[in-house]
Amino acid sequence: MILKIALKELKEIVREGRFRITAITLFALLLAALFVSKSYYTSVNAQHSEAKKNARSEWVEQGQKNPHSAAHYGTYAFKPKYPLSLIDNGVDKYTGVSIYLEAHKRNEAQYAAAQDQTALSRFGDLTPDFVLIFIVPLFIILIGFNAFTRERESGTLRLLKSQGVSTWKLTMGKWLGIFLPVLLIAIPVYVLAALFLANIKDYGQFSLWALTLLFGVYLIYYAVFINITLFVSSLFKKSNLAFVTLLGIWMVSCLAMPKISTAIADKLYPYPTQVEFEEQIAADKKKGLDGHNPWNTEAKKLEEETLKKYGVDSVQQLPFNWDGFLMQEGEKHTADIYFKHYQLLKDTYVNQTNVYRSTAALSPFLPTRFLSMAICRTDYTSHWDFANAAENYRIELVGKMNGDMAANSKYGDWDYLADDKLWSSVPDFQYEPTSYTTVIRQNTSNLITLLAWLLLSFAALYGAVTQMKTI
Amino acid sequence: MLEAKQLSKTYHGKQALKPTSFTVNKGDIFCLLGANGAGKTTTINLFLNFIQPSGGQALIDGKDVVKEPLETKKLLTYIPENLMLYPNLTGLENLEYFSGLANKKYPKEEFLRFLTEAGLQGDAHDKRISTYSKGMRQKVGIALALAKDAQVLLLDEPTSGLDPKASNEFSELLTKLSKKGVATLMATHDLFRAKETGTHIGMMREGSLVEQLTTDQINHTDLEKLYLKHMN
Repeated sequence: MILKIALKELKEIVREGRFRITAITLFALLLAALFVSKSYYTSVNAQHSEAKKNARSEWVEQGQKNPHSAAHYGTYAFKPKYPLSLIDNGVDKYTGVSIYLEAHKRNEAQYAAAQDQTALSRFGDLTPDFVLIFIVPLFIILIGFNAFTRERESGTLRLLKSQGVSTWKLTMGKWLGIFLPVLLIAIPVYVLAALFLANIKDYGQFSLWALTLLFGVYLIYYAVFINITLFVSSLFKKSNLAFVTLLGIWMVSCLAMPKISTAIADKLYPYPTQVEFEEQIAADKKKGLDGHNPWNTEAKKLEEETLKKYGVDSVQQLPFNWDGFLMQEGEKHTADIYFKHYQLLKDTYVNQTNVYRSTAALSPFLPTRFLSMAICRTDYTSHWDFANAAENYRIELVGKMNGDMAANSKYGDWDYLADDKLWSSVPDFQYEPTSYTTVIRQNTSNLITLLAWLLLSFAALYGAVTQMKTI
Repeated sequence: MLEAKQLSKTYHGKQALKPTSFTVNKGDIFCLLGANGAGKTTTINLFLNFIQPSGGQALIDGKDVVKEPLETKKLLTYIPENLMLYPNLTGLENLEYFSGLANKKYPKEEFLRFLTEAGLQGDAHDKRISTYSKGMRQKVGIALALAKDAQVLLLDEPTSGLDPKASNEFSELLTKLSKKGVATLMATHDLFRAKETGTHIGMMREGSLVEQLTTDQINHTDLEKLYLKHMN
């Protein structure tokens, strides 16, 4: 019976011009977005592996030099482009794609795509996530706003009720009648995305499971919107009122709430500006050990301690190159400072995220958006994770350079040169993204919020339709 | 088959229907006459459980419509003054859909037979309702009753606005159904049809059933006189 009702709803929807036009437009938009995204992804990926290869060969083939100079020469860590960013590009556009790794300094990721774009791109790109998260709910509203009001206005509701159909079954039929066309649009997109991704060369990164999870999240989100749409439609007597109300709900949850929660998060837990952040780090660095300045107070202290420990009275008598050792100690110290300040930054980030999570209760858009970015690995957490891995690699690389210098050269001997044997003994930067188990654990609250939206909106719909008056 | 027991309805302190009792047996066509606002539609809506009674009971086949809203609806077909169907679906599709809601399944030929039996021309069956006249839609209503094998018909001024021929056809269909044992409760303004088609007549005024009689007790002229007497 439910299926019969759904099929009739579908038949009616399809015979109406409104649906055909919007469905075709929506489908065309999605296809276009997918193709644009795919070509962008392929070109970025090609550039990425090219650049990665170049950076590595530049490092290995840098010629003979002092290991510490090599650490200054540095190399690059490139952020991998994840296959699912094809669907949701998240904050990738703003986060930068490569980090310059050098001695003494932790650098920010640079060359964000947004830097290369015109002001017009501020208005948003045509990406699948834009269509899937912003536009599809609008489509749901468009085909469902008059699901009940139309029956009421035209008088068919009385006839329906006089046939002895239970309101809940009727509602479920109407529900399916909206869900099926949405599925009809989502499934081809899912299949196409899976095909695209399966045909991309670095297939290893892509998991069909993650794509399925992503679409699962979207479908739950759509179900919430269908519930809200039917709920509103069952409350109103007039279609136009239901429509305006639903548009209002869409605007608040998809446009206003994200901005409002960003504003709240920024107000409560503001990030330091770039200048402030750098000044704080510089201040801390000044107080501490300077690897390049042996007359620095901290350096003097370390010298005394080390001499005492080895029972010698000059740095020349130490079994290793004091310069290398001192620089590595300085490096450890600056790494600690960076760690501390980035940790502070991360605390702010975590606090902001918590604000978003609590405001997610006010809009189903927010948990969906966060889950989508997390699954596509294009959220800030993924970026943080990459930046941290790059920093660890930098510490390791610089440590190895200083260590080699300390072990293989004499104090004051700046002529010591290492060659590509040492350079290539440093493993290439390999970044393994966080496992999906961790990603899901990090996003449990978003999942719970979204599921709560699903259950509560179903409950509200049930309550509204069973109380619905026929006349 | 249909029974009102001290049935009443009050809207915002105003009694739309004062406690009223009557019975409609199998094969009876009970015509409710009265001016607009006399309580005819209220009575029908109470039997449909579209509104809650303020007092008394509406029973269909001995079952209280409030307590068993879905069970009692299985027995009835409701045709309002202007039967509204889905304009984008054909007559046949509407019939199939609404019968399906009442859990009635038939092969397509059977549905077509119901439409024909209800007097709808064959070439209209596959046309969309948006092209139908009011009379044609009312006939789909009768086909719905046939398909549902309804034992009760609740009609709210079903022939108002129909041309005399269509109105006559509709009445003939009612008579046919009544011979099958269908109990009909019909609100109408048409004294002539009430006398011709009906078996019983109830006159309503300001929420009360002021007169009940059988149509064989009275002729056209006296019926009209009686009606006017009550209305003035």
